[in-house]
Amino acid sequence: MTETDATRSAVLTGIRDSLLIVIGYIPFALAAGAAMAQTDVDPALSILSSPIIFAGASQLVAIQLLGSGAGIALVVFSVLVINARHLLYSASLEPHLAGWSRGQRMLAAFLLADPVYALAISRFEREGGAGPKGAQLGYYFAAGITCFIGWASLVTVGVGLGGFIPDWVPLELAIPLTFLLLLLPLIKDRPGLVAAGVGGVVALLAAPLPFGIGLMVGALAGLFAGAIVLRRTQPEDADA
Amino acid sequence: MLDLIAILLSGLVTFVERAIFLVSKKVRPPRRALRYLPLVGPAVLGAIAVPGILAPRGELSLTETIPAVIAAIIAALLWRWTKQLVIGLVVGLAAWWGMIYLLVQVGWLQR
Repeated sequence: MTETDATRSAVLTGIRDSLLIVIGYIPFALAAGAAMAQTDVDPALSILSSPIIFAGASQLVAIQLLGSGAGIALVVFSVLVINARHLLYSASLEPHLAGWSRGQRMLAAFLLADPVYALAISRFEREGGAGPKGAQLGYYFAAGITCFIGWASLVTVGVGLGGFIPDWVPLELAIPLTFLLLLLPLIKDRPGLVAAGVGGVVALLAAPLPFGIGLMVGALAGLFAGAIVLRRTQPEDADA
Repeated sequence: MLDLIAILLSGLVTFVERAIFLVSKKVRPPRRALRYLPLVGPAVLGAIAVPGILAPRGELSLTETIPAVIAAIIAALLWRWTKQLVIGLVVGLAAWWGMIYLLVQVGWLQR
């Protein structure tokens, strides 16, 4: 297979993988858009929050805070905290993108939402990696742009539909199920399983904390627990 | 106008969080931390997925939790067999709706 073939095939795989994710996001995006439409915030701004922020949970919180009259500082701080997990994505992806140009990494960072990270990390960490650089770029940007367009469109539809989604169509489980199915391929050993399990349970216990920081508390606890198991099961080699 | 500024600044801080380790060659996470990076994905995704499954509507209770957990197991098994996210998701969600419908009919769950 030539490098061009590899790139083309990576682009197509990226589009296919991310389209399935976009389909999985339909329930959450519609529900989030509808919830934003029920605030006093200009619907155009709710729609614009997708291309500007491109991080679902934080967009919803930001618009709802604005609707309840919160000031700019509180809104921006909440988004900062909710999206702090992206710091971890950024650090985790860096070794894989080390060969990319600065501009390419800037653009990649803009698209680094949860599902894009999940797709990219499973691609880079699978057997054989993500292939030559052209195929890496092809997969990442095909997947990222598909998710970006898909998400922005679905939220727009959700804002437009507003209150027309009937109460008897419960959508709440769609998002945790989506993330569970993104998580499963990443659990490859006992430390990974412990990280996910502890992260999940602690996040649940910490859920009453304000500004959605329960998510961060859970993630850090999971990371810590997984690290302890990793140190016990795979003692330090010469990499320290 | 102030709302627009708030959203623009929110987009900016989100971008900085995503870009900080990717763009700068100088800002590096500690070298020893690199060993633990493969745990970040499981920890974060677990922290998003597990609370939503155990307390799907913000409430931990037998009638809320059990149907959601069964739906999650169905979705996970289907994913193992088919490796297709959307199949696991659609069937899991459908199973959840079915169980909720039954519980509402029996009167164990309020809608």
